[in-house]
Amino acid sequence: MIHRFGALSTTVVLVLAMAAGRVAAQVPYQRIVRAESEPHNWLTYGGTYKQQRFSPLDQINKQNVSRLKLAWAYQIRQAGIVETSPIVVDGIMYLTEPPSTVTALDVRSGRTLWTYSPTIPSDVIVIGSPPVNRGVAILDDTVFVGTIHGHLIALDTRSGAVRWDIAVGDNKQGFYLTLAPLALDGKIVVGVSGAETGIRAYIDAYDAKTGRRVWRTYTVPAAGEPGADTWGPSSWKTGGGSTWLTGSYDPELNLLYWATGNPAPDWNADDRPGDNLYTDAVLALNPADGKIKWHFQFTPHDVHDWDANQMLVLFDAPVGGRVRKLLAQANRNAFYYVLDRATGEFLAGVPYAKQTWAEKLDAKGRPIKRKGIEPSLEGTLIFPNIQGAANWFSPSYSPRTGLFYQGAREMGTVYYKGEAEFQPGTAFLGGGGRAVNGDEAWGAIRALEGTTGKMKWEFKLLSPGFTSLLSTAGGLVFGGSEEGNFFALDADTGQPLWDIQVGAAVRGIPISYAVDGRQYVAIAAGFTMFVFSVN
Amino acid sequence: MSRNRLCAGALFLALAAAPQRLNAAQAVSDVEQGKKLFQGLCVTCHGFDGAGGEAPPLNRPRLTSAPDEESLRKVISQGIPNRGMPRVRLLTGNELRQLVAYVRSLSQTPQPAPRGNAERGGEVYAKAGCASCHIVKGQGGSLGPALTEIGRLRGPQYLHQSIVDPAAVLPRGTLAVPGRGFTEFLPVLVVMRGGREVRGVRVNEDVFTIQLRDATNAFHSFRKSEVETIRKEPDKSLMPSYAKRLNARELDDLVAYLSSLRGEL
Repeated sequence: MIHRFGALSTTVVLVLAMAAGRVAAQVPYQRIVRAESEPHNWLTYGGTYKQQRFSPLDQINKQNVSRLKLAWAYQIRQAGIVETSPIVVDGIMYLTEPPSTVTALDVRSGRTLWTYSPTIPSDVIVIGSPPVNRGVAILDDTVFVGTIHGHLIALDTRSGAVRWDIAVGDNKQGFYLTLAPLALDGKIVVGVSGAETGIRAYIDAYDAKTGRRVWRTYTVPAAGEPGADTWGPSSWKTGGGSTWLTGSYDPELNLLYWATGNPAPDWNADDRPGDNLYTDAVLALNPADGKIKWHFQFTPHDVHDWDANQMLVLFDAPVGGRVRKLLAQANRNAFYYVLDRATGEFLAGVPYAKQTWAEKLDAKGRPIKRKGIEPSLEGTLIFPNIQGAANWFSPSYSPRTGLFYQGAREMGTVYYKGEAEFQPGTAFLGGGGRAVNGDEAWGAIRALEGTTGKMKWEFKLLSPGFTSLLSTAGGLVFGGSEEGNFFALDADTGQPLWDIQVGAAVRGIPISYAVDGRQYVAIAAGFTMFVFSVN
Repeated sequence: MSRNRLCAGALFLALAAAPQRLNAAQAVSDVEQGKKLFQGLCVTCHGFDGAGGEAPPLNRPRLTSAPDEESLRKVISQGIPNRGMPRVRLLTGNELRQLVAYVRSLSQTPQPAPRGNAERGGEVYAKAGCASCHIVKGQGGSLGPALTEIGRLRGPQYLHQSIVDPAAVLPRGTLAVPGRGFTEFLPVLVVMRGGREVRGVRVNEDVFTIQLRDATNAFHSFRKSEVETIRKEPDKSLMPSYAKRLNARELDDLVAYLSSLRGEL
């Protein structure tokens, strides 16, 4: 169903605001809370705070998707890897371009309304990932972007003018930002990248109006704090635990969920015995003060760089005869997890891709590791690979099918152990890996039962990619490939219904929106944002 | 410059570049540690003791892409992506010094003289009809890999194997297309609906399509959903084995000839 009241509601709001002698805030917090009620917009990273990346729009559906055509395209200004998930609000698309540029486009024409590029120092330190950006947050009349030099910048939605600009972390130490911030009630929450330089990571909340920091929660406890005994005497100081992907939020439970990354150094754990809390975990936080309510660690004592920075997808579904509030994640370590998001209780966990490192998960979800999985001087072949069975790319959950759609990477890595030498702002890795790629690796889009992880169907991909997925009420799942295919699958069966070759790896994150009564699907690939619709 | 003088010079450079003064025992230790690193990170492609394989031998006095210590450090640190050499992993300064010391030490080991004669090998190349499928110095057919600089890219052992058992050593990672580590010149059999067969080598592929060149060097493009079967044959090659067509001396001569091809047009 298409909602046609988007433009109308904007007009009404504008008239009312003018009558009152002031301009109303464009996207107040309550509007994001109720994002499901305005599916023609895409108000936050994954569509709603649940991060399901599901569109209730159904104008594009199984019957007509074969007629999907290009509506317009936008060329990125600066070459680089484009991994953006656009926001669409009342006829305007806000997207990010590498490394940290924000551009506003008119969604009717694709024409640029404004663009903003921060001044990035030429000696910027980005170790651990390419210099990408995955999107903005919007709150009231402000757009927020994290930058690769470690800043959080607030921009006026109408002009792109800077309202404030603060340093979240010291880039000289290796802190940088690639994630889309998360806008809550008056606060902007961000995480940091940098574990590959041995930072001690944190999650920060900032006052949306002023940029003043409201709270900071470290993901690695200091000596004397709970969890410090899971580290060596001083290894917590360089423990990593990056927070580089957008979290999720449950307004009813008032809990903020944030995933954490690998311990540092990545592949040499000689100086960090123990579980290394709270790395490779999910933290449930009180958004008022950042206090940790509960945690669940997916990969204790990680030696393979298996960050848990994958999307934390929230949905409610029956488990054991009653509807429960769930949090699900397809983890980089190749297991799919289902937790009770009120308590952190482990409910289910099964492999969704090939893995050779764990016998199984125990009753509490802790992995029982196999012997001989550690990186070594001569190399140790383990599945999944260094980039994981999953990574930053978004899965999708459809409340219509109850299925969790996930891009899975079937690939191994020969893991090497090396020296770890800490010098601030330089690589602190302790090894590395050689990917087993080419024809020996492959990928798939898999539909997993949301509450169990049991696979219902898969659609094979030529190579293990970085495809984000979008499911829709039209019964479709949109995804892409490393070889430049962008396609729509039947959400119930996985059968391909439409595809196009866009000429470069699909690394963008798909969304859907509607304007003037027409539904669109947007995806960035190569250096281009493509927007499709059905005539 | 003699080989020994070059090695002494390399050792001097290593000493000068080190953050602290190294004694002889340290230098020996570096070589030993470097060997361990090499056997983990490099041996798969460059062969045991750097004797060469899918990647060039490293036990030569002058390495093409790394003629001096600084360029060797750079090659190890950054790889040579357009020649298929990855940066396997980031190394600490200490590890890099050790690996460089070991690779530089390889050329101190006396190497056996090439078994074949390159000049005679050129005649074998002509007689065997290799030029019908391979380009050398601009001349020849383009069904198989161009060989103008094959001596820079492959070691003698690999070249020998590629002549007697081509299917065992299908190249990968040397061409921009299909790239990303995919096997190159991969034989593929496509069976159309109705039974017509097309056999060729894969040029490129994506999720929904595949592109081939057949034995006549003609291009074919298929949409996967519109054909009956697509069978990839990684254990085959369109190139026949020359194990029984050439005698041992001819094989050695041909390998010597191919090893001498270093990019000159």
